[in-house]
Amino acid sequence: MYYLGVDVGSVSTDIVVIDENYNVIESIYLRTKGRPIKAIQEGFKRLEGKFKNSDILGVGTTGSGRHIAAFLIGADIVKNEITSHAVAALSLDKDVRTIIEIGGQDSKIITLENGMITDFAMNTVCAAGTGSFLDRQAERLEIPIEEFGDYALKSKNPVRIAGRCAVFAESDMIHKQQLGFAVEDIIKGLCEALVRNYLNNVAKGKEIKSKVFFQGGVAANKGMKKAFEEALGMEVIVPKHYNMMGAIGAAILAAERKEKRTNFKGFEVADINYATASFECKGCSNLCEVAVIKCEEKVIGYFGDRCGRYSGKVAV
Amino acid sequence: MKVGIPKGLLYYKYKPFFNTFFEELGAEIIESPDTNKDILDLGSTLCTDEACLPIKVFHGHVEKIKDKCDLILIPRIMQIYKREFICPKFCGIPEMIENNIEDLPIITKAPIYLFSSDKFFKWAYETGKILTKNFFKIQKAFERAQNEQKKFKEGINDKGYALKVALIGHTYNIYDTFINMNVKNKLNKLGVGVITHEVVDDNVKYLEIKKLFKRPFWTFAREYYGFISYALKESLIDGIVYLSSFACGIDSVIVELIKLDFENVPFLLLKIDEHTGEAGFDTRIEAFVDMLSRRKRGNLA
Repeated sequence: MYYLGVDVGSVSTDIVVIDENYNVIESIYLRTKGRPIKAIQEGFKRLEGKFKNSDILGVGTTGSGRHIAAFLIGADIVKNEITSHAVAALSLDKDVRTIIEIGGQDSKIITLENGMITDFAMNTVCAAGTGSFLDRQAERLEIPIEEFGDYALKSKNPVRIAGRCAVFAESDMIHKQQLGFAVEDIIKGLCEALVRNYLNNVAKGKEIKSKVFFQGGVAANKGMKKAFEEALGMEVIVPKHYNMMGAIGAAILAAERKEKRTNFKGFEVADINYATASFECKGCSNLCEVAVIKCEEKVIGYFGDRCGRYSGKVAV
Repeated sequence: MKVGIPKGLLYYKYKPFFNTFFEELGAEIIESPDTNKDILDLGSTLCTDEACLPIKVFHGHVEKIKDKCDLILIPRIMQIYKREFICPKFCGIPEMIENNIEDLPIITKAPIYLFSSDKFFKWAYETGKILTKNFFKIQKAFERAQNEQKKFKEGINDKGYALKVALIGHTYNIYDTFINMNVKNKLNKLGVGVITHEVVDDNVKYLEIKKLFKRPFWTFAREYYGFISYALKESLIDGIVYLSSFACGIDSVIVELIKLDFENVPFLLLKIDEHTGEAGFDTRIEAFVDMLSRRKRGNLA
């Protein structure tokens, strides 16, 4: 008997299947590429052969695309990323006190005490240090993102890079490259700058206590883990499924429900032809941009209107 | 004469006064519509980029009604209380508007000092004489307007919710439901009631700030700090939600002051700027409410 967790983030869409003891049976990591529906369908195609619809006892969704995902697959619980990440970390170790989470477009810190969230913060308007920025830098340096961390670990003399803002960091990196510094020293310097930025920005004023978990896509970067450990002077734990923690948390929350019936619509969702469109609602002066999801010319859902004029009367 | 009143900045606080004052002088009032996308777009195109969102939105409101009226109220509010100040942008708002918007009708430029009736009347006289030559008419309009303002009940105090938060922020961020994406409604839907600082009497707030090492320079700082301090003492709230416009200088001080002095109180800072996508906002609010209710129940699951 299994539970399904889906985390639709800005950069990646993660799908996990866990058993009743919260062991991860299957995990799928996909790039969202701005098309959450496609990503979910792609993931479901891979799961279709392995699991029966009746195996799934509950479904949870999270991430910035959690509502669209919930609607599409029939979720039993829809939770924000912060709670989901905390639930997943606590299921591994109930003594976790701090969670550093860095994803594609946002980064957050969650502090916990006695298994309860006591505080959290997210980056406000600056995206320096998030996954998208590292992706871009890796691309610019022509180094596969997977090897980025290994390069950093090779560095003996990290170069100082300005970390206040992504634009400054990039121009500083280019200047240091022009001066001929070794690429590994620049990458290590970048990791240190991003950690500095995170600690001064997102984690400002928060007391970081051990045990510290580091999760989200960026936790794959060994250079970032090392830089955090050096800056904090304590061990930083990267859980095995660091990039799936949101989805795992959502699945656990689905499993924890008292209600035993599920709304799950089945893996066939993968084969349905969905089309999306959008229009500007002229109903009032707000002029909301409304997204429409259609299935074979029939409208099945609306998103994005503030008043609920459309989203309130979903056909399905 | 047609008098235009832009629905921005401290309009939400002083609308009874200004509307009554101009009506008493025989003017036809043209209010701009509630903030909408069009106004936001106009404002951010016309205004300098460095300004905060409320200032940009105010520009949008002025642009929207400038062709429909003969006079536009641009309140240059200098001070609300003695020995305290408000945001310096209010002192220069007529000049900002003049330099950023073309083909304006007459605009009101006289400074407004609200702490003394005599000083405040100077504004009323300067402005009123554009509409009438009759001094007594201005005097009467001023008195009526002040009475209307006194009757105005400000503030929100929701009843019947299991959880309650202090919703803190400048008037124009709290009451403009477009720029704050109707945050009160979002909280209410999640079962959280809202209370704002106007509910607590000013004298009480003055008492609460005595523990600070100096009297706050900003009126808003005194009001918010005093209110939170009192609300916590009386267990009126479970947490604080602070709505702040990106790049607001005053907020940058108040937020830190509150965070430092009320360390263990759940605090959520929501930054508002030009974005209209609500996902980021919703995530923060939901997570915050989750945290509050789990805290109250005392377990995570």
